[in-house]
Amino acid sequence: MSADASVIVAAPSAPARRAARVPVSVAIGMAVLCAVAVLVIFGDLLPVQDPLAQNLSATLKTSSGAHLLGTDQIGRDVLARVVAGARGSVVGPLVAAFGCAVVGGSLGLLAGYSGGLADVIVSRVVDIMYALPGLLVLIVFVGVVGGTYWMTAVVLIALGWPYQARLCRSATLAQSRLTYVEAARTIGFRRSRILRRHVMPNIFPIILTTFMLDFVSCVLGFSALAFLGLSSTDGSPDWGSMIAQGQAYLTTNPWISLAPALALVAMAAGATLVGDWAYDRLARRGVGE
Amino acid sequence: MLSLQNLTIRLATPESDRVLVQDVDLALERGRMLGIVGESGSGKSLTARAIIGLLPRGLVASGAVRFQGASLLTMSEREMRGVRGARIGLLMQDPFTMLNPLQTIGATLVETLPAATRRARAEVKVEVERRLAEVALPADVAVRYPFQLSGGMRQRAALAAALARDPELLIADEPTTALDVTTQDEILKLLRDIQQHRGMSIILITHDLRVAFSVCDDVQVMYAGSVVERAPASQLRQNPLHPYSSSLLLAELPVSRYVEELTMVPGRVPPAHTVAHQCAFAARCAWADERCLQTRPPLEEVDAARWSACLRVGEIAEELEAQVSEADAVSDRPVAPALGAGLVVAESLTKTYHSSSLFGSRGTVRALDDVSLEIVEGESVGLVGETGSGKSTIARCLLGLNRPDTGRITIDGIDASDFRKLGRREERRVRTCVQAVFQDPYASLNPALSVGSALHEVLEFRQDGNVEKRAVGELLDSVGLPASYASRRPAQLSGGERQRIAIARALAMRPRLLICDEPVAALDVSAQAVILELLRQVRRERGMSMLFITHDLSVVRQMSERLIVLYRGKIVEQGDTDTVLDHPTHDYTRTLRAAAGATVERAIQ
Repeated sequence: MSADASVIVAAPSAPARRAARVPVSVAIGMAVLCAVAVLVIFGDLLPVQDPLAQNLSATLKTSSGAHLLGTDQIGRDVLARVVAGARGSVVGPLVAAFGCAVVGGSLGLLAGYSGGLADVIVSRVVDIMYALPGLLVLIVFVGVVGGTYWMTAVVLIALGWPYQARLCRSATLAQSRLTYVEAARTIGFRRSRILRRHVMPNIFPIILTTFMLDFVSCVLGFSALAFLGLSSTDGSPDWGSMIAQGQAYLTTNPWISLAPALALVAMAAGATLVGDWAYDRLARRGVGE
Repeated sequence: MLSLQNLTIRLATPESDRVLVQDVDLALERGRMLGIVGESGSGKSLTARAIIGLLPRGLVASGAVRFQGASLLTMSEREMRGVRGARIGLLMQDPFTMLNPLQTIGATLVETLPAATRRARAEVKVEVERRLAEVALPADVAVRYPFQLSGGMRQRAALAAALARDPELLIADEPTTALDVTTQDEILKLLRDIQQHRGMSIILITHDLRVAFSVCDDVQVMYAGSVVERAPASQLRQNPLHPYSSSLLLAELPVSRYVEELTMVPGRVPPAHTVAHQCAFAARCAWADERCLQTRPPLEEVDAARWSACLRVGEIAEELEAQVSEADAVSDRPVAPALGAGLVVAESLTKTYHSSSLFGSRGTVRALDDVSLEIVEGESVGLVGETGSGKSTIARCLLGLNRPDTGRITIDGIDASDFRKLGRREERRVRTCVQAVFQDPYASLNPALSVGSALHEVLEFRQDGNVEKRAVGELLDSVGLPASYASRRPAQLSGGERQRIAIARALAMRPRLLICDEPVAALDVSAQAVILELLRQVRRERGMSMLFITHDLSVVRQMSERLIVLYRGKIVEQGDTDTVLDHPTHDYTRTLRAAAGATVERAIQ
């Protein structure tokens, strides 16, 4: 026997990720989402100035002790407006994304599990919806028909559900072939029960991730409308229109549009990071594909 | 030629350092065939992968692996590539995923042939034909794609590819596990012939002692990451020198006779790192004492060519031998329970599957061709046949998962030919009459539900609400699991435990007929005996009928009084199990019986 009897070889020990530990990027994402949640829920109670109060003697001020982020063209406090704008920028998209998950999720489950005519109808409608340029339809609809805030949410649901439906359908299709679903059929459970209690929990990671992505695109949809001046708000601030209004002063007083833009980007990135992480965790738990 | 010394494989991560395989020694001479036998988790496949340097990421091998004087563990990846394939060939378990589906068999072979023979086209063609002939495949296979071949042919093609560069050593990892019995026997014979003809060495990795005995010169038994015994195959068969080998031998079901009490090994295989400093088998061993828990017994030579890792081998050798020879005693089948009225009647069922491809060529497969059968209350009917014989289709039709094209199914007096036409109450009656246990224990439980809530749901459904708290516990108890399992999730259970939960779920419906579709095919030998014994016991206690579907004649011998043999969708023979198996009249049954018996008989010689 040679001397190399106990040589340790090939140690490409990949840093094994522990399920319990949250990566830094995800922790930051969560912190951002929490901060946004605080703004949305407790925005009224925060010690900032009145977002609507104009002061024509102090327009376009740069940051100072009285106005941390300065003031806009009619002397309103930018910080106060970013805080107050959170609600309008988040609640609508949240409702729209939830609507997509409910509508798209149920149609996808039904199409994937039942097959046959239901599947053909849902899949073809989804195909047609995929062909529509979503944002354009939204702009035309709201521009021509004139949409209220909640009408915008409804249009976004109508445009966004096909993405959920298609993903749910294929995930359901994969699960339906597994023996545990057949065992549930053998017991004699009704279809609604099998879908609700057996299939749904196992495709939930996919629904959740898609929900997060839908939320981000709805945030952008709402903001785009506001940016184009198509949102019919009651005068309460929102991030999209702030970005639009601040454009003209970008060189002299950048915070007017930069502050809401940063808030928007941070929230969208946070939602995406947390969504991906949640999928990984749930999938590793043995649920999902 | 190949020697392993103190091969240890560990999973090294920043958080933990766990031993998976510990101190494996192995010596293989030229022209010998060595079997490595063990259940899942024994580390047999990891050992093979360490030899050819294909360990999964994060696993570290230490010790010494010497192949013709060269140390394989210290080789660079580049040198290793020169060894892999060229000098050590590898044949894997699954013939369905091993071959590239986009390449013809010929192209796969040409790609693997040594560069020297890859010159002129005509020469290559001749060479490919020669290679195919060696594995007994006709020359026209070269222009066919993997999907056009049967499982056995694919495994032969894969073998030809593994041998293409004329390796001196072939490692075959479970090469016959996914195949039917008759094909399995052919492939084993082929391996043995080629090995002898070429004078090469083979390491055959298998979970099946019968397979190892039938072709190997020497057998090495592994358990929980360690080698527990090494011996010439014939001697191990007669006279095992380790309690684990002995229990493996006893767990093998004989095809030739009925066994009154199936031998069960209590407990389950422990993870290797938990038994690194004691005898790995101690917790399940009838002879274990304190010494076995204090140190890890080394593999020591106890007799000429006999190695055992049992501290007490000197004291218990005779007992082990007696145990094995006693098991050969013939026992009588118990008197069959009194039969009641007909429960399930299927009349001339036919079922054809259509497959259509993108370009219109259509294939049809006749899964069932005029099949009629009747199951009477209280009896156990065995249904045997190979892959594609239609045995599972029958089960699926009886369970309403498939619909027969023509024919009639009557369950408990209700016409159940088409489950969709059943009313709510009728369906309920049919469902409470027939329940099933499926093959794959890993897919048959919902991963999102805890064991308790899965069972509770079924009990609630069966009794229309109000389930007593202890009902789930009682159900678990009836399948031999403690009530505390209710809070576990399927991912925390072993295959055998999952299968017990699946049985409990079926029993919760209190069925009169339990259809078991290959319930033990995916389980280790020791878990197999436990499940079969459990099924026998619940049948005895509840007077249930059973339809037992399997490809394994030795299993059906133990489980059923009446036997139906299915071949390509047709019933070719039926009758009393013992009569059909001992005096088969149809050619197909004879082939099946001979294949099942052949491996055993050759092992005894």
